[in-house]
Amino acid sequence: MKRLAVAHPIPTAVVGWFARIGRAYRITLEHAGALGMLTWDSFVAVVRLRVRFRDVLTQTHIMGIQSLPIVFVTASLAGIVTSQQGGYQLISSSPRYVLGTLVVQSVVLELGPLLTAIVLVGRIGARITAELGTMVVSEQIDAFKSLGRDPVAILAAPRIIAGLITMPLLVGFADVVGIYAGMLMADLDGGLGKETFFYGARLFWHSWDLFYGFSKAVVFGFVIPVISVHMGLRTKGGAEGVGLQTTQAVMFMILTILIIDALFPPLMLQ
Amino acid sequence: MIRYIDVHKAFDIPVLSGVDMTVETGEMFALFGPSGTGKSVLLKTTLALIVPDRGDVHVDGISVHHGPPGSLEQVRRKIGYVFQHAALFDSLNVFDNVSMGLPESEIARMSRADTARRVWEALEIVNLEPREILAKLPSELSGGMKKRVGIARAIVGRPEILLWDEPTTGLDPVNTAAVERLIKRLSGELEVTSLVVTHDVEGGLLMCDRVAMLSGGTLRFCGTPEEFRNCPDPVVRAFVDRAAAEAALDMATT
Repeated sequence: MKRLAVAHPIPTAVVGWFARIGRAYRITLEHAGALGMLTWDSFVAVVRLRVRFRDVLTQTHIMGIQSLPIVFVTASLAGIVTSQQGGYQLISSSPRYVLGTLVVQSVVLELGPLLTAIVLVGRIGARITAELGTMVVSEQIDAFKSLGRDPVAILAAPRIIAGLITMPLLVGFADVVGIYAGMLMADLDGGLGKETFFYGARLFWHSWDLFYGFSKAVVFGFVIPVISVHMGLRTKGGAEGVGLQTTQAVMFMILTILIIDALFPPLMLQ
Repeated sequence: MIRYIDVHKAFDIPVLSGVDMTVETGEMFALFGPSGTGKSVLLKTTLALIVPDRGDVHVDGISVHHGPPGSLEQVRRKIGYVFQHAALFDSLNVFDNVSMGLPESEIARMSRADTARRVWEALEIVNLEPREILAKLPSELSGGMKKRVGIARAIVGRPEILLWDEPTTGLDPVNTAAVERLIKRLSGELEVTSLVVTHDVEGGLLMCDRVAMLSGGTLRFCGTPEEFRNCPDPVVRAFVDRAAAEAALDMATT
């Protein structure tokens, strides 16, 4: 057979580069579509009252109550470190009460929602993906379907509702703990009294900041269960598949949270 | 009646390449085939647990994959599915696992006592002592017991059709014989249509009214056990006769 001559063959590296871009684009669209479908199906399950209150309560307990100790530790340390580093930087340049502003603003706007979300990715997101992934590979999801039960109503929707409920509450808890820890450290470290600390905090306080922080909490509280359920339900293979999928889910969640976090200031702080 | 019409499915490579097969109402039907030939895939298309790339499955005249909204739910209510490894829900005890086999609409109308009675009956049918195991978690049961609980869950909703996915895989010879006797007895007592996917050729031939064999993604044989035993097709012969099977394996590997 006569071979066709190519005048200017495209270098393999360029073809490979475009192929990789195409593949990444396709995978992104696949995930986006599946996430959209999962969200819609969960919404329909809630509207049709197919979600059991007991399941929501169980998930709320797991995500909320059981997460309190780790959120407490994380928020305390965030408040303490912010107070110490802020004190060190401001000591000779600004009035001491500004430390109150710095700690409260940092915790409410950024550290409270973000660190709580990261903690929940590790504690809850990974758990959900591994749990559902194991159910997939052991055919338990198929069993639900074969019995005429909707896995979205039983497994996905309660977790998403629980995430939306618990995340703002946990962030509120983290804010209070972080601010008090920061205030105590300011007192111990720099002798800044409670009144001075809160004077500084009130001086630059906007109620909008609280709304901003809780908006982040709601979005993160939605993103973590949705992605972890989505990734869990896409698990393939055996134990290795579950491990791989859990790792990918954690990376996916953290990256998504950081991107959303970066989008918040231009959208809500202008 | 279950009708598989030109069912195609591929996962990277083709697994089913146009399977046409009919399981008549009330009969026991065994499906044989080497590993990886798509027996379980075909079984799962019956309940839309796997969606075929092409073709359809009709259950009592209802289209599973191209039917109007609600038809799949209708089909699923007719069918009990026994999974290869039981697929019991880890977090639920035996009572809750078995009661999941009752349709939601039925549970809503039933009292707690009625539900308990149905679960109790189903466990007794599969020769388990309900009092001893109702509160146990799947992790506390042996392999054979898990299998029986899985069967109880499949029959508690009183299905018209039972699909068995490798019901004896992983069981010792004593449990294998017991499960085979159970399948035969249940099909008779409950008057259900049974489609059994199995590697156990002898067991399948003894239990079933008709058998079929999948090979290379298509139906290689379909007929009575007697016809299957006397079939001249070398691939079928390989299944009937272990020596022929080994010879076929040798031929395939050389």
